[in-house]
Amino acid sequence: MAKNPVRVLVTGAAGQIGYAIVPMIARGVMLGPDQPVILHMLDIEPAAEALNGVKMELMDAAFPLLKGVVATTDAQEACKDVNIAVMVGGFPRKEGMERKDVMSKNVSIYKAQASALEKHAASDVKVLVVANPANTNALILKEYAPKIPEKNITCLTRLDHNRALGQISEKLNVHVGDVKNVIIWGNHSSTQYPDVNHATVTTSSGEKPVRELVANDQWLNTEFITTVQQRGAAIIKARKLSSALSAASSACDHIRDWVLGTPKGTWVSMGVYSDGSYGIQQGLIYSFPVTCDKGQWSIVQGLKIDDFSRGKLDATAKELIEEKTLAYSCLN
Amino acid sequence: MAKQPARILVTGAAGQIGYALVPMIARGIMLGADQPVILHLLDIPPAAEALNGVKMELVDAAFPLLKGVVATTDVVEACTGVNIAVMVGGFPRKEGMERKDVMTKNVSIYRSQASALEKHAAPNCKVLVVANPANTNALILKEFAPSIPEKNITCLTRLDHNRALGQVSERLNVQVSDVKNVIIWGNHSSSQYPDVNHATVKTPSGEKGVRELVADDAWLNGEFISTVQQRGAAIIKARKLSSALSAASSACDHIRDWVLGTPEGTWVSMGVYSDGSYDVPPGLIFSFPVTCQHGEWKIVQGLSIDEFSRKKLNATAEELGEEKALAYSCLS
Repeated sequence: MAKNPVRVLVTGAAGQIGYAIVPMIARGVMLGPDQPVILHMLDIEPAAEALNGVKMELMDAAFPLLKGVVATTDAQEACKDVNIAVMVGGFPRKEGMERKDVMSKNVSIYKAQASALEKHAASDVKVLVVANPANTNALILKEYAPKIPEKNITCLTRLDHNRALGQISEKLNVHVGDVKNVIIWGNHSSTQYPDVNHATVTTSSGEKPVRELVANDQWLNTEFITTVQQRGAAIIKARKLSSALSAASSACDHIRDWVLGTPKGTWVSMGVYSDGSYGIQQGLIYSFPVTCDKGQWSIVQGLKIDDFSRGKLDATAKELIEEKTLAYSCLN
Repeated sequence: MAKQPARILVTGAAGQIGYALVPMIARGIMLGADQPVILHLLDIPPAAEALNGVKMELVDAAFPLLKGVVATTDVVEACTGVNIAVMVGGFPRKEGMERKDVMTKNVSIYRSQASALEKHAAPNCKVLVVANPANTNALILKEFAPSIPEKNITCLTRLDHNRALGQVSERLNVQVSDVKNVIIWGNHSSSQYPDVNHATVKTPSGEKGVRELVADDAWLNGEFISTVQQRGAAIIKARKLSSALSAASSACDHIRDWVLGTPEGTWVSMGVYSDGSYDVPPGLIFSFPVTCQHGEWKIVQGLSIDEFSRKKLNATAEELGEEKALAYSCLS
């Protein structure tokens, strides 16, 4: 017997990431090929016609799994009964804008959307914030949606995690599917720390540590890190547009692993509400290594953190604390 | 034991349809969730940097099924060893261009790509032409790649087919997956004939004829037809961009059903080399109802064609005859 449809909200749905993600969701990439979905798409009034164009195309594609589409500029209608919310909509940084200006605009957006989600979404809605500053937008959302369990509010660092896997696979000339357990610590920004100290590669003679196989600590501690940190800018330089395809795909991975569980022996990176693990201040949305089971994530505990890593973990935490302070100052 | 990877070429890969299509292919939408793929991406030198950006994003997305990416502006390298070729690249019509100008440019492109495919692709390579004028581009490709079996050269009308299913499902307020066996006859242009005379809807009391259920011949013979014919323009009007998402998705459907077979009792529409079936002149690439099995398509025979339909079939065949003559005149 067919499953009941799951309602999936995408905000900013008329934009580039939205256009990439909605066919992925409609094909079962996010929740599995046997899970029917109803898409809720939200965008702002100026994008209403474009949003309707996306709805038309979803209809034209005759997706078997897609059981309905709600395309709206009304946040309440968009949020109603949704089980999953992917928050792609946000105010992009424009030339000449100060950090405080971007923060100010996004804080207002996430405060309003928090309220709508809390009132109208399903009570156990799972939330993934993609729009930047992702961690702080997620934190604001959490603060203004106190009824949504804090463990249900996350931000996307899976893109960075996948980028790190990709860089290792290219360096070692192995298939990316054979690399696992990198970690992205901290902020989805240029202070993120891509950590391979516990990462492994499946080889014909078993699983080997990445650090050993790469045999180039200099590269792993410098160029590898900066390449992953700055990959977004590299994509913009090449495409003249930002990384919609890989962001959308990674958002599907984030939700799929959260809902369906991570494979045995594998963890992933998610921006989650920090509980003090690894000496990170509580009350931030911070990217940690997590496993997922039965729809819940839990931070992988007990991993060794060397001095180099400690410095990196603390630096990105410091930036998140500064963002949090800035965000709160915008609210007053 | 894992299958050997299939090599799939996408031309015009740095463009909008390419950007929508490649993540679908990399996720197994085109050939199934257990079929590894190697993507070959081709575009012209002005798009080389953007093309490399797409390759970077494919690496960044860490797709388990994607076993390699060849991104190139060299048509020989692009075509080498490919099992499937999706020809999205072509010269778009610009304001002020005459039909003959568009035809001239595209005829040159498809003539040279025919040559490269014939020389370098894997034997039995399956070709899907998407770029417009799709039918005539496919015909040119066929003429200049005589060692590619004519049955392996097709053009995309699955988008129109899916659009027709969508329109019927909206009209009847049923799930699109319960509607089947519409037909798109002829040219992927405004002379196409969307025919519901043999289409059915699955209902609790069995399969019913669409014409019977809709009970509005005026609509089916009038507005329904023009809506499907002109849907591309409607999408452009709404989005200010053409229908990349649905075109990409339908291209995946076309290839998937061709390779893996159509479901029992269901046919689809494909632009294929006409053999005189239904009194359509042979030697055109004309969209017919087909079933697929063991990697081969076969025109559904014996469907009754009423007078109204006969005129429509003839009109679109006539247009294709004119396009063929125009194309050949451009080659002289």
